[in-house]
Amino acid sequence: MISYSSQKVKEGKIVKVETQFDNVITKLKISGDFFIHPEEILDDIEKSMLDLNRDVSFDTLVHKIHKIVNDHDAQMIGISPESLALVIRETLK
Amino acid sequence: MKWRVLGLETHDAYFNMALDEAISESVRVGSSLPTIRFYNWSPNAVSIGYFQSIRDEVNLEVCRELGVDCIRRWTGGGAVYHDFEGEITYSVIAPAKLFPKNIIESYGLICGWLVKGLENLGIEAEFRPVNDILVKGKKISGSAQTRRGGILLQHGTLLYGLDLKTMFSVLNVSRQKITDKMIKSAEERVTCILEHSDAGKKEVYEAIVKSFTEGKDYEFAASSIDENKRARELSQEKYRSDEWMFLR
Repeated sequence: MISYSSQKVKEGKIVKVETQFDNVITKLKISGDFFIHPEEILDDIEKSMLDLNRDVSFDTLVHKIHKIVNDHDAQMIGISPESLALVIRETLK
Repeated sequence: MKWRVLGLETHDAYFNMALDEAISESVRVGSSLPTIRFYNWSPNAVSIGYFQSIRDEVNLEVCRELGVDCIRRWTGGGAVYHDFEGEITYSVIAPAKLFPKNIIESYGLICGWLVKGLENLGIEAEFRPVNDILVKGKKISGSAQTRRGGILLQHGTLLYGLDLKTMFSVLNVSRQKITDKMIKSAEERVTCILEHSDAGKKEVYEAIVKSFTEGKDYEFAASSIDENKRARELSQEKYRSDEWMFLR
């Protein structure tokens, strides 16, 4: 199943997520007009979502994104781990 | 700290973005001074942010019809229509250590130079975080920044004139939806120099050169042979490639 969600998140930017899943997430693409420094961690965030169960909790998604952001001393602008997790969670409903 | 200023040049979208990256590389290895450049886009072009999907954001069919180039930037942010007549673009490329670590503070610092330039033209403007400059509550400039390999690159636009109809036709809004109401709504949110000043484009350019260089030790120079060569490579091999264009 392929699912798509696009939201203007509370930090101000547009976040679009396309997810492919059966019982687990097999593909996930994040796009939008936000800023992440360094940019490359978005690939790490996408990869970290693969093989997660489609019932994965919001808190688990937030924790995974936060860990990658913290490990890279990254800055997110116009988006946050919480708002990104919210859009990802939306696609899994 | 001495700066290099590259005076107003006109290039296509691919070379413009490639030159920003080539200069970032040469500043990183110390073969070029921190650089401020000013440029136009010809042909007109749409640039999308690094994280955007070109299929989502750009009407590629209309771009082909109108001869408008499409490019993915190295920086985040949103889709921008770059009109040769209606815009002056700047880039600041320098070691990140010269700027605040906090990204929004660094936007504020560089956008402050542009705000000063507008003041030089008698236009009162203000920086609105994250990355916009407003005149009377309407956006006149947007910027985008990346920091890679210790180098800060910020590029941004200054709207001189507005061609909203073309802008809406190349961005991904169906033609049926390009209504007078939509254009009116955009006119309420976006503005340009010509709505506030009779200044010619050359005068505007001179005003922002003055404000960007104020208090700095600088020299006007050209991009180096190596930078131009590298920019041509990046233009062909990276920025024009489908792999880059359809990255997301």
